Parts: sequence; structure tokens; C-alpha cells
Amino acid sequence: MNRTPIDNAEMDPSKIDQILATEEDLVPTSGFLASVMERVHDEARMPAPLPFPWKRAIPGIVLATGVFGWGAFEFARQAIQASRTINVTQLQIPASVEQPLEQAGWVALALAVSLVSWLLSRRIAGHSS
Amino acid sequence: MTATSTSAAEDLADVTRVLAGEVQAFEGIVRRWQGPLVNMAWRYCRDRGRAEEMAQEAFLRAWRGLAQWRQESSFSTWLFALAANVFRSELKRFPTVNLPMEDIAEPAVPARQHDALAERERYEVLRRAVLALPHRYREPVVLFYFHEMDLSVAARTMGLPEGTLKARLSRARALLRSRFPHLDQESLSPAIAALNTGKEASR
Repeated sequence: MNRTPIDNAEMDPSKIDQILATEEDLVPTSGFLASVMERVHDEARMPAPLPFPWKRAIPGIVLATGVFGWGAFEFARQAIQASRTINVTQLQIPASVEQPLEQAGWVALALAVSLVSWLLSRRIAGHSS
Repeated sequence: MTATSTSAAEDLADVTRVLAGEVQAFEGIVRRWQGPLVNMAWRYCRDRGRAEEMAQEAFLRAWRGLAQWRQESSFSTWLFALAANVFRSELKRFPTVNLPMEDIAEPAVPARQHDALAERERYEVLRRAVLALPHRYREPVVLFYFHEMDLSVAARTMGLPEGTLKARLSRARALLRSRFPHLDQESLSPAIAALNTGKEASR
């Protein structure tokens, strides 16, 4: 095994080094090997997890993405048209109402980001618990 | 650690057989590495029962992920790195109960020269004090001494650059020295020296 030389200060065989380096070896209990192998055999007997059916799922995912994308596009288009129509008919919409309509996209984006961060934090919390 | 080089061929053969579907071949791997893995786990938690549980978990993870060993590194390097990950996450889930570093008092009365038992107990206090080190310093110390002060192997096990590991070790030693100021001034006791000599001879 290759030994990497450490600088003199660290290689100095201080008492701390010697104490920490001289641990008496622990011998595993007699049943340890059998216990590990029993669990390995148990795992080996379990049926392999079913792989995710990507071939079947991909068309569905693509279709769903397309539908949602198209829906979002149509919704945005309708919203823009509606806001223009409102302007054409000269309805007097107060600026405090009109501005939020224009910024609806940003609000939706902010909500989406919040949702993602909430889901992410839940996932992290779930892993660490 | 000489077992590491001598068993490399056996490890490779056993892994190949396991991957070909021969479950029983894994027993050879467990037989060869149970000692090192239990001892490594023991240094992480200093609880015998728990050390065996953690080592068992590491073997199971190794079993599940055996196909991920790419043979770019030795089997032992891969196994130790995997075990270190398992032990780290196990101790994160259920931490060992340790005293804070400040609460570990250095025994006030020096052990008598002939009282080997008292001296061993005293050294055990220092070993347990390692577990009270801040997390970033604890694992480098555990792995460095487990790998018999081989910096490069310890760094590979941790997945850290050697320089980083060296800096953390240096800081950890400084912390331990500040807690146990009298240890460096004493000469090595005959009992520990004998233990040292025995180990060197067996390598």
C-alpha cells in the first residue's frame, strides 16, 4: 500500500497519533457472516422490481405535455385577447385591476416556483428524517 | 491492510460469480471483509452491536450495487467508500449520544506505570473524544487511523482531496491536543508500545 508522506509536524509520532492508531481489532461475532448471508439470500429471493415502462409511458407523456402546453398557450391567447377587447370597448377598468391581469403570467410563475420549492423541501425533509 | 492486495483476485472472481447469479459467492466477500468493515463501523460509533448492524447494512448495499463497481479502483476502495457513506447516513439518522468536546475531562491523576487497565481506560477516553469532534473533523480522524495513517487511502474513502483531508486532520489533532494537553508530554507507555510493536510485526 502506498504511503503518502506527511510533513514532519504531522508525522511526528505524538502520543495522540499512537493511541488512535493502536486500536485493538474487534472480531465479528460468530453469527455475523450467517446473518449477512441470510439477508442477502432473502433479497435474492425477492422478485426484481418492475422496471418503469418507458416505452409505453413516453407517448403518453409527450401527449400530455402537448395538451397542457397547448392549453396554456390558448389560455394566454384568450386572456390577451380578452384584455384587448376590454380596451377596444373602452371599458374603464381601473389600473389596479388591469395591471394584475397583465401580470397574471408572472403570478402563475411565482406560484409554480413556490410549489416546486415546497415539494423539494418536503422531499429533502423526508430524506433526512 | 495487506489483505487488500492479496485478496484482489479473489474479490474479482467472487464479484464475477455473484454477477453471474451465484449468490453464495458473496459469502467469500463477506468472509474477507467482515473484520475490516465491523472495525471501521466500530470506530464510527464505538458500540459493538451497532457496529455489526451498520456493517451488515454496508454489505447489503454492496450486494445491491455490486454491478456499479467499475473496477477503476480496487474493490476494497469501492467497498470502504460505500461503507463510509452508509455509516455516515446511519449516524445522521440515529446519532450516537456523545458528550460535547468541552465536557470531556482529561483524567486529573496520571495512571501508574504498572496499571495497564487504568491506562487503557484513559486512552479509551481519548478515542471516544474523537466522536465528540465537530463532524467535519471526526470522519477524517476515524478513517485516517483506520487506514493505518495512510492519507491517500483515507482521502479516497472519503472522496476528498488529500490536501483537504490533511488540513482537517491537522485541525482535529489541534482540538484533541487542546483537550488533552498532557498526552504529548508523556512518553509512550510500555503497554501501548508493545501493542504497537505487535501490530507492526503482524503487517
